[in-house]
Amino acid sequence: MVDTSWAKHVADVLRRNDLRMFATVPDYIVSHVLEPLWADPECRVVTVTREEEGVGLLSGAWLAGRRGALLMQNSGLGNCVNALGSLDVACQIPIVLVISHRGDLGEFNPAQVPMGQAAGPILDALGIRWIKPASVAELEAQGDGLVKLAWTRALPVAILLPPELTGGKQG
Amino acid sequence: MSAPLTRALATRLLAERLGAEVVVTNLGQATLELQQAADRPLNFYVFGSMGQCSSIGLGIALARPDVRVICLDGDGSLLMNLGSLCTIATEAPPNLALVIWDNEVHQTTGGQPTATAARSSLAAIARGAGIATALEVRTEDELRRAYDRVLGEDGPLVVAVKVAAVRTEGRLDRDVVGYTRRFRQALAAR
Repeated sequence: MVDTSWAKHVADVLRRNDLRMFATVPDYIVSHVLEPLWADPECRVVTVTREEEGVGLLSGAWLAGRRGALLMQNSGLGNCVNALGSLDVACQIPIVLVISHRGDLGEFNPAQVPMGQAAGPILDALGIRWIKPASVAELEAQGDGLVKLAWTRALPVAILLPPELTGGKQG
Repeated sequence: MSAPLTRALATRLLAERLGAEVVVTNLGQATLELQQAADRPLNFYVFGSMGQCSSIGLGIALARPDVRVICLDGDGSLLMNLGSLCTIATEAPPNLALVIWDNEVHQTTGGQPTATAARSSLAAIARGAGIATALEVRTEDELRRAYDRVLGEDGPLVVAVKVAAVRTEGRLDRDVVGYTRRFRQALAAR
């Protein structure tokens, strides 16, 4: 039995910081975070067809006064680079990215590795502050502060979910 | 047959009827023409995110169901984000209308033809995505009647407006951060 108790901690960081609007292209790992959000009647979760749509949708929601997060795999980060840069960074729109980190420690699929290795540098290149908590304790120590920084700075932030935290995906 | 519609005229005809609606404009000509026709705090202009106009509008519509949201998109840009039509159909916000200026070319980059110049119909694609009310209009009369529905009917609605490939001259005001703040404050005050 895989321990997925970490996922509720991620969902709780988001909810206790007043995030109620979520967009996602699910993967195996973020689906554990989505379960408590889907079950919460106060939360709206929109499944989009491509992650870039989620950037637009959550940016619109923030313009209309609602905070939100985009839950996706790091492959999806590649799909939303232009929207993050030209919309959120350029216009100073804060959203939270929750990214399952495939393509790093323990990865079994060679096709995941290039984007997995590029995830941090892509975020750095856009000036998006990110954390990669290796444990629930690290997540709890850093998560609230990261989300608060997003609103203070009016820029996106990202939580990378590494296999040390989530158990990863076994091939 | 009457002269083909122009985007500038179609924009003015909408602008003169606007009240408390939010309008989100596609980058380039759609933004320029709305800035010229009616710059107002409840306009949100897209400047660099090709394809994202309808997604931004959907987010606003879901977050503020009490406000009517009208997107002014372009054929080239919507073709880049056709999945957005499926998401709009699935979420089905009654307060969202998507007006598409369909000039069948990538106007900003020199007039290269898009797929709507050949065989693709955005209204048909929208219906296939599951948006029940999806119209294509070609004349001023049809457009005025379509605006009645955009401004008065529950959505989601899609109106593809066939317009001439005419370029509007002028300079965009690109105060992207200023417009963002102005829009957010204006919507919060509503």
